[in-house]
Amino acid sequence: MSPDGLYVYGIVRARTPLPPGAAGVGSPPAALRTVGTDSVATVVSAAPAQLRARRRDLLAHQNLLTGLAEAGPVLPMRFGAVAPDEEALRAQLAAAEASHLATLDRLAGHVEINVKALPARDSLASLVAGDSTVRRLRDEARRRPGYEADVRLGQAVASALSRRAAEAGRKILRDLASMARATAAGPDVQGCALNVSFLVGRSDADRFRTTTERFAAAHREHVELRLAGPLPCYSFVGASANPAAPATPPVAAGGA
Amino acid sequence: MTTTTYADEIAPCPPRAGTLYDVLELILDRGMVIDVFVRVSLVGIEILKIDARIVVASVDTYLRFAEACNRLDLERDSGSTTVPELIGGGAAKKIGKRKVRDAAESVGDTVRKVVGADGSDEHDEDEAEEQYERPRKRRAPARKSSSGAPRRRRAEA
Repeated sequence: MSPDGLYVYGIVRARTPLPPGAAGVGSPPAALRTVGTDSVATVVSAAPAQLRARRRDLLAHQNLLTGLAEAGPVLPMRFGAVAPDEEALRAQLAAAEASHLATLDRLAGHVEINVKALPARDSLASLVAGDSTVRRLRDEARRRPGYEADVRLGQAVASALSRRAAEAGRKILRDLASMARATAAGPDVQGCALNVSFLVGRSDADRFRTTTERFAAAHREHVELRLAGPLPCYSFVGASANPAAPATPPVAAGGA
Repeated sequence: MTTTTYADEIAPCPPRAGTLYDVLELILDRGMVIDVFVRVSLVGIEILKIDARIVVASVDTYLRFAEACNRLDLERDSGSTTVPELIGGGAAKKIGKRKVRDAAESVGDTVRKVVGADGSDEHDEDEAEEQYERPRKRRAPARKSSSGAPRRRRAEA
């Protein structure tokens, strides 16, 4: 039937409608359908023969899950999951039905919001004025210019900017965590001093955003905040999600 | 602050390049994994490739930070100077075309460029390369004139 298997996008409650106009991975986009049991279903399409993390396919995956999440809770699969056939898929769903349903219930009415803290881009002058290490390396680079001295200086600047961003990030994290049901540290991202996802009730999403914006405006000298969401709850489907108030999520110390 | 709202962007406008960048690591590294399903092995290769390019981009960023620092006039500077203003050259030209905020070359921006686009990122990489090469180009005429000097001396002799 599908020689290359079934691409699995996510798990939803049975009878969750597919978003109108949604299409799957591949070129041309594969047709979507659901495969499931009486209570849970997976949204699948034929897997393309040569699936890679192409921009087009990442967007198809992301857009479909975002659309599904509008209609009800969804457990997003990590990009690139391929089931061998329908039979194997049904067997897995049947075996894990109770746990899937429990997770769907837990996530119902919630969205993921991701906040990244990046070094502020407007603060170079105040950094050079205030940081003695950077000032010393800058003087050295001016006295004896060269590639090595420049890399050392630039590295010190990058890491000082990251440190300031991480400090501000830890502050905002405390404020935001009180509004979230759970937090999860995101994967390390190059250039990010802090990357955290929050599980937030849909009705709290606006307040969450406003709080983040207010903080960003007040601390623009120290940190640039990037907020993405509402997202499908990628970070809260596994055992790695931390349901209690956040411990200290890992902060990229040196940054960059 | 930069905000990415998915709800507004599902259709008809597909999300912007920066949008995918902001959630790329979640799509690739978070989300449910089920052991009996195969995960596309080629995905890993793609990520390795991206990582390698980020390393290239970050050295480029260090050099641009250093250049910006060296040009910085602390006496004159009010503290509001942004990195792209200090960098000058290609970045300054870009500021003319876009808002300063958008043109700002932060670490994040550089990385976003690197992973952002499908084929257009090649162009961005060329741009970065151009800035990286500039000091070498500046030295080139100096070498030519010094190699020309002995010839002049011979002529004078």
